[in-house]
Amino acid sequence: MNNAWVLYVVFAAGLFFLGLYCLLTMRNLIKLFIGFEVIGKGVSLVLLATGWARQSIFLAQSLVVTYIVIEVSLVATALAVIINLYRTNQSLDIRKLTRLRG
Amino acid sequence: MNLQILLLIGLLGASALAILAKDLLKSAISLAVASLFLGIIFFRMGAPYAGVFEISVVAGLITVLFMLTIALTKQGDDVRESKLVKTVFPLFFIVFALIDAFVMKGIFSKIPTLEAAAEAGTFGDVLWKERSFDLIGQLAVILAGVFAVLALFRKRDHHE
Repeated sequence: MNNAWVLYVVFAAGLFFLGLYCLLTMRNLIKLFIGFEVIGKGVSLVLLATGWARQSIFLAQSLVVTYIVIEVSLVATALAVIINLYRTNQSLDIRKLTRLRG
Repeated sequence: MNLQILLLIGLLGASALAILAKDLLKSAISLAVASLFLGIIFFRMGAPYAGVFEISVVAGLITVLFMLTIALTKQGDDVRESKLVKTVFPLFFIVFALIDAFVMKGIFSKIPTLEAAAEAGTFGDVLWKERSFDLIGQLAVILAGVFAVLALFRKRDHHE
């Protein structure tokens, strides 16, 4: 693997870190989902970078396209869940979801 | 390569802004800008289809969905984040960068490199012939998403 690939992986790791940091510290539901999206960007970057370095860019591209389609479906569903939670709780605060017990 | 590094820095910066910005609308727009950078990076790596999907679907459609959700949950904006979030971030980032650098330096030299062989055919050939089962999976996921959204909103109407 060449140096350019290492560069891409380092940046992808940075994106993964940012998303993980968001998921661990933030309390707003929409913000948490933005963190998840950032992790997804890191994953698709490393997928394509590996395909590029190993000269199988078409396969990597088809995997990234599949991932993007899945991402759209996931985002639509998750945002619908967030809207429903907001209507129930009148808040986007993740700590208030603990009231949903039992 | 220099332009590619600038684009990667832009991608990381826009993503950091999306996470650290207080206003949710600014966060959503920053996420769209990050997608735009990622799309250009994909395009420059020789993956135009992935780039087009990234820019049109992720930067376009997903941003619209985020904005719609932010508009529908306007009063929930005032979630108070922990005060530690901004003060701890630089420290956390430095620790992560150091661990990342050491771990990667150790791991990369040990990864066995498989033989790389150039692909034959076009992107269409690979997608439709080699990964044709993925397309069925994509169709299933889209249908599942559509039915999930329909079910989530229909249930609500029924109770009201």
